[in-house]
Amino acid sequence: MTSQAAATIDRSVSVRLLDLRRTFDGGVEALAGITLDVAPGQFAAILGPSGCGKSTLLRLVAGLDRPTCGTVELHPPLDRRRFAYVFQDAHLLPWRNVLRNVALPLELAGIAQRQRQAAAVDALEQVGLAEVLRRYPAQLSGGMKMRVSLARALVTRPKLLLLDEPFAALDEITRQKLDQQLRDLWLAHRMTVLFVTHSTAEATFLADRAVVLSRRPARVVADLPIDLPQRRDALLRASPQFAAATKTIYQALERGGA
Amino acid sequence: MCKTIALICLSVLLVAGCNRRNAQSLELTLDWKPEPEFGGFYAAQLGGHFTKHGLNVVIKPAGEGADTWQLVATGKTDFATTSADQVLIARRSGADIMTVFAVYQTFPQGIMVHKARGFSSIKDVFTHDGTLLAEDNSWLRLLHKKLGPAKVKIATYSGGIAEFLARPDYSQQCFVTSEPILARHRGSDPQTFLIADEGFNPYTTVVICKADLWRTNPARVRAMVAACREGWRAYLDDPNPANAAMHGLNPDMDLQTFTEAAAAQKPLIQTDKPLGTMTADRWNALADQLVDLGVIDNSIHGQDCFVNP
Amino acid sequence: MRGGKFIANVLPPVLVLIVVTAAAEGIIRALAVPMFLLPRPSTVLQYMAQHPADLLASLGTTAQAALIGFFASAVIGMILAISLSASSVTRRAFYPYAVFFQTVPIVAIAPLLMIWCGPGLAAVAVSALVVSIFPVIANTLAGLLSTDPALEDLFRLHGAGRWARLWKLKLPSATPHIVTGLRIAAGLAVIGTVVGEFLVGLMGSGEGLGVRIVSAKKLGRTDELFAAVLIASLLGLAMFAAVNLAGRLLLRHWHASEQD
Repeated sequence: MTSQAAATIDRSVSVRLLDLRRTFDGGVEALAGITLDVAPGQFAAILGPSGCGKSTLLRLVAGLDRPTCGTVELHPPLDRRRFAYVFQDAHLLPWRNVLRNVALPLELAGIAQRQRQAAAVDALEQVGLAEVLRRYPAQLSGGMKMRVSLARALVTRPKLLLLDEPFAALDEITRQKLDQQLRDLWLAHRMTVLFVTHSTAEATFLADRAVVLSRRPARVVADLPIDLPQRRDALLRASPQFAAATKTIYQALERGGA
Repeated sequence: MCKTIALICLSVLLVAGCNRRNAQSLELTLDWKPEPEFGGFYAAQLGGHFTKHGLNVVIKPAGEGADTWQLVATGKTDFATTSADQVLIARRSGADIMTVFAVYQTFPQGIMVHKARGFSSIKDVFTHDGTLLAEDNSWLRLLHKKLGPAKVKIATYSGGIAEFLARPDYSQQCFVTSEPILARHRGSDPQTFLIADEGFNPYTTVVICKADLWRTNPARVRAMVAACREGWRAYLDDPNPANAAMHGLNPDMDLQTFTEAAAAQKPLIQTDKPLGTMTADRWNALADQLVDLGVIDNSIHGQDCFVNP
Repeated sequence: MRGGKFIANVLPPVLVLIVVTAAAEGIIRALAVPMFLLPRPSTVLQYMAQHPADLLASLGTTAQAALIGFFASAVIGMILAISLSASSVTRRAFYPYAVFFQTVPIVAIAPLLMIWCGPGLAAVAVSALVVSIFPVIANTLAGLLSTDPALEDLFRLHGAGRWARLWKLKLPSATPHIVTGLRIAAGLAVIGTVVGEFLVGLMGSGEGLGVRIVSAKKLGRTDELFAAVLIASLLGLAMFAAVNLAGRLLLRHWHASEQD
């Protein structure tokens, strides 16, 4: 287990953002110079008031948008296909069954059918959905759809996982279950994670580090380490350390003008 | 100058006619636009012949697709023009109408071909390749029956001469007073064969009214027919004033065409008998032909369809 | 259970048809409406019973042209919509001309059809194409332009090229829109065929329903006219239903409600 974990850390990637700025065509300034270093294998939560530019930041890292100025550097340089991006909603293709939805990224990368199916089954097993391969998205609950979306992100064995408020639309219980599952998956694979959220509790539970952004145009107002055990479970949420960490983040958010 | 006065007169009459039809005013609905085939009616109006007979007549041209006999049968208009075969078909369909005047003594329908093809009769059209544009009419059925299976492709005719001008292998139905003149003006060299020469010769541009009107008010019908006859006499003698008036209403047709068409139709209208009169023999012959073609059944008798008031 | 559902779906409209037909028969008889205005339903049915072979031959001719016109407008319409969706510049430049198809009176281009294609099947099918293609273009285009932007990002992130995005994302995403367009086009194709036959149809044995309608009108045969109109309507209905069924099959996984 540990040797496997060590091997996966090797494959991870560091993200360095240098004075990243983005101003949209209409003159709206979303990001006002973000500088940030995320170490390989780190799980970083990015928090901020709604509409502050968190999603813009994530899109810039993914290369889906170009910065007005500043740079995004990845070390080692990384093929975009080894990124994974999870959206706010599941965004599955309704005409494909679960298996073919999950296999999609590999299909687009030109991987042979047999291999990509095996990888998709594997990814679905990791999120606990091995029994619904042949179902269609319309037949799944919201939580199951989100897990399929997560499996689709994992299927490429990504070195960099970008998540944009992925569980925001789910009910609290489902959300906590998925938080647990995501934390466990990260422990197993140790990819670098940027996780955008507006929930302090979710950030505390999942991340090693919380980066708090101000209101638009966004700057970094706080960069807080989260010193909690590596393995986390539901009980942790009730602990005083958890409450303290949450409070610190909350105060930073207040300062940022949330 | 003459044209302007004519136009003003017509406009006044038309405006007057637009006010709700009262007991004195009568409506005559034409089955096409103002063209020389209706010249006598406009001449009657210009010359005051309707007024002289105590009638106030409004002439209403109609567009394509109007079955004028239906308008008469349902009381939407008092008088209308149509053709004798349509009268028989209308009778078979239960429309109680009566023919009172016939402009064309000879069926003006023909088939127009390109002269270069060297045809000498309609039979040649039928027995050669090419395309014939025609409406499915009684006369087409008669030609089929008489000439046997056609070698020519027959396609629905939807008006105009554009296809004919563009394609040397096309022939089309025509009114001898209209399309051949138009084609000649556009630089084509058409030749026309009359359907009448193949033995199908219904009275055409006949004036019809409800049979009931004839039964209850024959004096009114007589007055109408007398005015029409005088109008047609005047038009045959000098078509120019009415042509000018019609050209004002139908500027698409130039005056030259009006003049040529009026000259071309004269022999089809004027016979040694009084203008517009019909014979029972010809009506019965037509009815027999239509029964023979299966267009009507033999419960319809030709002699019942007309009067010479 | 399927049979029960079928009966529940089909029985009400059939009952309405029977009641309305019987009422029409009664009213027309009672008021002695003349035949040239409105034939009795029984006269129309009688005509159909007496001339089944002629009517079937006409139906065959019309159906052939309508199907060719429909499939041509489906294929060409989708290709045009795909080209238009390629960039906003082409869209702005060419879309106004696509609207031309919606507004062109077929009567006005009938001589051109006749001259280019000659009378008969080809010209009639082109008429069906011209009348039915616009809804295919407009709906397909709307579908192609309403692709989920998140999914477009996903495809780009995974290095999907133009064709992969088109085949694996945009066209499948547009399927509900395309089905809507084709449903409208199916009915219009029959209308376009019948109108085309009015204008550029061939007469003679096996003449199309449109040619038959014109002849019947000219010769005052309202029973034949209504029979031909009725059959043309049924053809339109059948094509509409076929597209509907195909659409349901294509989209059966999209909505939970159509499962089970």
